[in-house]
Amino acid sequence: MNSHEKLFAELAVQKLQNQTRRHFLIDCVSKVGGLAMAPLLFGCEPEQLIKKSTGLNLSERDLNPLAPLPPPFLGKAKSIIYLHMAGAPSQLELFDYKPELAKFHDKDCPESLLEGRKFAFIRGVPKMLGPQAKFAQHGQSGAWVSDYLPHFAKVADEVAFLKAVHTDQFNHGPAQLFMQTGSPRLGRPSLGSWVTYGLGTENQNLPGFVVLTSGGKTPDAGKSVWGSGFLPSVYQGVQCRAKGDPVLYLEDPSGMSRDLKKNVISAINQVNQEDFETFGDPEILARINQYEMAYRMQIEVPEVMNINDEPEHIHELYGTKAGEESFANNCLLARKLVEKGVRVVQLYDWGWDTHGTDHDGSIDKGLRNKCREIDRPMSALLLDLKQRGLLEETLVVWGGEFGRTPMQENREGKIQGFMGRDHHVDAFTMWMAGGGVKKGASYGITDDFGFSGVDERVSVHDLHATILHLMGFNHEKFTYEFQGRPFRLTDVHGELIHSVLA
Amino acid sequence: MLDFLGPLLGRMHPVLVHLPIGILIFGIVLCFFPQREKNNFLPAIRLAFLIGGIAALGAGISGFLQYQFEGFAWEDVRVHLVGGILTALGSFGLFFHLRKKDVIQSKGKVFAFVLGLILTITGHLGGNLTHGESHFTDVLPPGLQSFLGIEILPEKGPQLPEESWENAELFSEVIQPIFNQNCKSCHNPRNQKGELDLTTMKGLLAGGEDGLIFTAGDAEHSELFARLILPKDDEKHMPPAGKRQPSKEEIALIESWIKKGGKETQTLAEAGISRKLIEQFILKSELPFYPKTSLAILSADSLATLKTAGFFAEAIESGSGLLKVSCTNFSGFQDSDWEKLSPIKNRIAYLDLSGTQATDAILDSLEGLSNLTVLKLNETAVSGNSLDKLARLPHLKLLYLNKTGVNLRIIEQLSTSKSLQKVFAYQTPAAEEFPNSGKLSLPFLLETGNYSLPKLPTDTVVY
Repeated sequence: MNSHEKLFAELAVQKLQNQTRRHFLIDCVSKVGGLAMAPLLFGCEPEQLIKKSTGLNLSERDLNPLAPLPPPFLGKAKSIIYLHMAGAPSQLELFDYKPELAKFHDKDCPESLLEGRKFAFIRGVPKMLGPQAKFAQHGQSGAWVSDYLPHFAKVADEVAFLKAVHTDQFNHGPAQLFMQTGSPRLGRPSLGSWVTYGLGTENQNLPGFVVLTSGGKTPDAGKSVWGSGFLPSVYQGVQCRAKGDPVLYLEDPSGMSRDLKKNVISAINQVNQEDFETFGDPEILARINQYEMAYRMQIEVPEVMNINDEPEHIHELYGTKAGEESFANNCLLARKLVEKGVRVVQLYDWGWDTHGTDHDGSIDKGLRNKCREIDRPMSALLLDLKQRGLLEETLVVWGGEFGRTPMQENREGKIQGFMGRDHHVDAFTMWMAGGGVKKGASYGITDDFGFSGVDERVSVHDLHATILHLMGFNHEKFTYEFQGRPFRLTDVHGELIHSVLA
Repeated sequence: MLDFLGPLLGRMHPVLVHLPIGILIFGIVLCFFPQREKNNFLPAIRLAFLIGGIAALGAGISGFLQYQFEGFAWEDVRVHLVGGILTALGSFGLFFHLRKKDVIQSKGKVFAFVLGLILTITGHLGGNLTHGESHFTDVLPPGLQSFLGIEILPEKGPQLPEESWENAELFSEVIQPIFNQNCKSCHNPRNQKGELDLTTMKGLLAGGEDGLIFTAGDAEHSELFARLILPKDDEKHMPPAGKRQPSKEEIALIESWIKKGGKETQTLAEAGISRKLIEQFILKSELPFYPKTSLAILSADSLATLKTAGFFAEAIESGSGLLKVSCTNFSGFQDSDWEKLSPIKNRIAYLDLSGTQATDAILDSLEGLSNLTVLKLNETAVSGNSLDKLARLPHLKLLYLNKTGVNLRIIEQLSTSKSLQKVFAYQTPAAEEFPNSGKLSLPFLLETGNYSLPKLPTDTVVY
C-alpha cells in the first residue's frame, strides 16, 4: 500500500474513533440533505481501506491486543519497574557529591552560571547552597551515596548511576511528559505503552502495564504520563488504587454467580463484536478485550494485589504496612506483579519538589523524610528481586523529571524560610539496575558545583534508547505509523549508553 | 517580478534535455542507413541536426540557469556543461557539413558517431547529477558489483579484544576503521570527493583540495575534526546529512588522536584513551546467551496449538526457532501434560513451570532438552534425587528452584554441570543449610537470598 492510501486508511480509522453521539446529532441537523450526495462524493469505501491497512481480517493481535510478541532481538530484560520520584529529588543531597560547592555555601552565585539562563523561580543573583547531606563511598564500586539513603548505600553495587542526565523542560508537567513519553507536549505514547505495544504481556489475567502512585498526589502532568497517545488505548497504563481495593468492584455482588457473569459478558461482547463488524472501529476491540480482561482479572488480581499474605520477613524488609498508601507497599506490589508476568510497572511517588518554601519542602528536613520513605523500600525491592532471580530479567529505573539547582532558591527575589533548591535541567542523577545493566557502573561527570555535565552527558532520549535496547528493541526501528509518518519514542534522537550495558 | 522565470526555466532542464537527445539520436541513426547514389533521408537528417542543435542550445541555456540557481558545484557540472556545448556545436556543424551533399561520406559518419558519443557521455553525466553515480550499479547483483570493482563493502568499525585492549594501535585499529566506516565511501582512491583520500595515513597527510586537513596537536583547527562537530544542517558538516553519522565516542576518539599528535603508531595506553571511549568497540568474549541453532521458526499453527493447550509460547526473539514456554496462565499443568510439549522439546530454550503441579517425574522428561538454557521450577513439588539429570543438560545456565524442597546435598549433584551459572534456591531447605555449610564450593553461583536490611536508628527519626 502506498503512502496516500495509508493516510486515507488512517483518516478513516480516526473518523470512526471520533464519531460520538454529539457528532451524530449535529450531522442530523446539518447534513441530512448531504446524505443523498454521499455515495457520489465518497467513492472509496473506508471499511475496505481499513481492512487493507490495519489488517482487520482479525489476526490474534486484533482480537487480543495484549497478545505477546517476540522481541525484535534478544533483550536482557523482559519487565520494567520504573520508580519515578515526581517533583524531582535533589541529586546534590543524594548521589552527586560536590565538596567544592560546600566552600561556596551562602556566597553569591557566580555571574557565569546565570548569564542567559532562565530558572523556574530563581530571580536576580541567588546564594549558593552547599550539600546538606554527608557523603561516603560505598561497596566495591565506591559509589557515592549520602546518609539520606543509608539502606540504599548497602545495595549501591547493584546499580549503574547516570550522573549527568539532562532534560530541556524546567516545569514539572512538561518535564514528566518528556521523561515518560519522549515529548514535553501531550499526545505521545508513554514508554510503558510503547513496550506493552511492542511485546504484549505474558500473563493474560493481568494488565500489561500497571501504574501505582504514592505520596498523596498523582504527577502534575496527569494521566498522560502513562497514556497511550496515538497507540490504541488498550496499551495505556492501568492505574490501581493505592489504598483500599486496588481495583474497584472486583468482587461479584451477591446473587451474581461466576457463570451468570460469564454469560452477561459474552452477551455484551457479542453485541460489541457485531458493532465492530459493522463499523470496523478498532477501539471496539479494545472494549471487548477490556471486558474479558476484567472477567479474568477477578481471578488473579485479588491474589496478586494482596500483600497481607506475604511473610513477616518480607514486610520487615520493605517496611510495608498493609492498608495504607505508601511507596513501600507499591514496591512490594511491583515485585509481585513482575513475578506474575506483568510487563511494565510504573511507580510514581509524589513530594520531591523541595523549594524550601516550607518544612516539608526543605532540603535539610522534608527531603530527609521523603528519603526515609523510599530508602528501605527501593533497597528492599532490589534485594527481593535479586534473591528470587527476578533481577536477571527485570530492569529497574529510578529518577525524577529533572534535578535541582546548586543555588538556594530565592522565590520572588526573597530569601526563603527553609533551605531549598529550584528546578534544574542541566545535570541530575538517575540509576538503573537489573537485566542487562552493568553493576556498579557510574557514567557522567558534572562540574564542581554539580551545575552542568562536563562529560558523558545523557539525554532523556539516550535513556529511552537504552531502555528499549534492554527490552529487545532497536529504538530507531521501533515505529508506529501516525498522521502519515512513522513515529518513534526517541523521535530523531537517542544514542545507546554503552557504558552501562553489561 | 519575473524573477521566477530564471529558476523555472532552470528547473525545466531535465525535461528539455530529452528533446535534443531524441532528435539527435534519430538523425545519427539515419546517417548509418544504407544509401545509394542519392541519400533520400538527407533532408530529414539535416532537419534533425538543425532542430537538434537548437534544442541542445535551449537545453544548454536552461542547464546553465539551473546551475546558477540550484547551487550545483562547478566541479560537478563542469564536464557535463562542456559536453552540452559541444553537442550543440556539433549538431550545427553536422548540419552545415551535410547542407550541400547528396550522400554521407565516411567523414560525415565519423562526425555523427563522435557526436553520438559526446551526447551519450553528456547525458550520462547529467543523469549522474540527478540520480546519483551509482544509479545503475546499485541494482546489479553483489557478485557482479564486486567483479566490476564498483562495490564499496560496508566496513566494520573498530573491534578491540576484551583483554589487552590498551595495547591496540590507536591509528590502525581504531581511527582508520572509524574513517573506513564513516568516510571511505566518498573519500577513497577511486572516488576522491574534494580530492581527499581517507583510506591511508598517506592520504590523510596529503589533505584535500583545500590543503591540509589536520594539524597534529590542534584538533579545533583541524578540518578533519572541526567538520564533524559542525551543526548537522551546516553545508560543511561531514559526513553529509543523511549519511551514517559517527557516534559521540568516535568523534571524541578522532579528537584525542589529533590532540595526541595524530601519529601512525601509538597504542591506546600511550595516548591515554579511557575504556569508556572504546567500550562499544570491545568484542565481548562471552558466548551468546542462548545456543545457536539452525532451527527454522515454528509454524503459526503449531504455536497456536500450544497456546490452545494453555501454554504461553513465543519465539525467544523475532525469527528464532527457539521458544520460551511458560505456564503463567496454566497452573493446572501436570507431569502428564508434558506430552503436549514433547513434539517441540528441542526448541525449548526457556521453560517456566513455576507454580504448577509438576513433580520430580518431570525431570525425566526434561532429559535431552539440548537447547534448554533457563529452567524455572519455583513453587513446585520438585525436590528429589533425580535433579542430577539436569546437570547433563548441555546448555542449562539458570536454574530456579525457589520455594521447593531441594536441600544442599541435592544441589551439590549439579556440580557436574559444565554450563550452569546460577542456581536460585530461595526459601528452600538448602537455603537454611547453606550459611552453615562452610567449605562447600560449587562451580556455579548459589543464590539463597534471605536478605534483610537491619534496622537503623535513623529509620524512625522524623525531621
